[in-house]
Amino acid sequence: MEIPVVRNVLEANEKMAEHVRRMLSAKGILTLNLISSPGAGKTTLLEKTLCDLSKEFRMAVVEGDLQTDNDARRVAATGAQAVQINTDGGCHLDSNLVLSALDSLNLDAIDILFIENVGNLVCPVEFDCGEDAKVALLSVTEGDDKPEKYPLLFNLAKALVLNKTDLLPYVDFDMARARSSATKLNAGLEIFEVSCRKGDGLQGWYNWLRQMHTAKINAAQNPN
Amino acid sequence: MHEMSIAQSILQLAVDEMARSGCSRLEKVCITCGALSGVEPESLRFCFDTLLRETPHADARLELTLCPLRLRCTSCGKEFGGEGQDALWMPCPVCGEQFGHMVVQGKELLLNRVIAR
Repeated sequence: MEIPVVRNVLEANEKMAEHVRRMLSAKGILTLNLISSPGAGKTTLLEKTLCDLSKEFRMAVVEGDLQTDNDARRVAATGAQAVQINTDGGCHLDSNLVLSALDSLNLDAIDILFIENVGNLVCPVEFDCGEDAKVALLSVTEGDDKPEKYPLLFNLAKALVLNKTDLLPYVDFDMARARSSATKLNAGLEIFEVSCRKGDGLQGWYNWLRQMHTAKINAAQNPN
Repeated sequence: MHEMSIAQSILQLAVDEMARSGCSRLEKVCITCGALSGVEPESLRFCFDTLLRETPHADARLELTLCPLRLRCTSCGKEFGGEGQDALWMPCPVCGEQFGHMVVQGKELLLNRVIAR
């Protein structure tokens, strides 16, 4: 028997993601899905952000890693709510994993939720976790051709954080090339050049978070 | 690496459709995947076959149709692309614009047909 159907293969994940998005939006929580290679500085960016904005926002983090709870501990040391997901070999987080992690968080005490995805520039991009926006992170030690090589992340992200700018004198990273290739993929991409280690350039990123949070609150108050 | 999750989703959808039609043995599933869907066809096939081993559907086949990329120029609105194009930033053949093309086709990952008895 032939059964003709047209179904999105990832529909189960996407339905669940929509459920997560509605749940978090109802609480007025801005949710950002942070995606990068391993070692680009996602956790360090979060540590800085959670410390520097702790007086302005109540923030929480869902941490995804194959193993260990090292990152959740680092993040929890800032005083933010944190929950670790271990994927045990899985290369990405999906909406079902995020939904189950939310049980461990007090959603009434969160303004901004960060989902720190498994370090990987490919697979996490395919799986909607219920976020409002994806944020791409790229460090200058990885090479300026990454937007060209891994286009989908840079095409779908709302913001790109270029990290480790303090190392620019020591590596062959052409900032203009990275910026122009990322912009070619995504004309509306917001780009921030930062050094999380030195604290350089973070104000632009913080201002963007403030704008996104204000927009989220306004949208929650005026649903149409 | 995420092809295993995708293979599981495909199998789940196929099993749902079969249950609805009163079938119990899967013979073939037909999938369309876009040039930007992030799916490596050979890897998906490998995961699908591995997943089905030791199930009643071990003989089922996966038929993959690749769907080429089509872009719409943000500047002049011309649609272009097709076979052989996999880069998002080809200059528009009409006006030469390189920036910010919209993806019209190429991100899809669809289940089109289930053959079962």
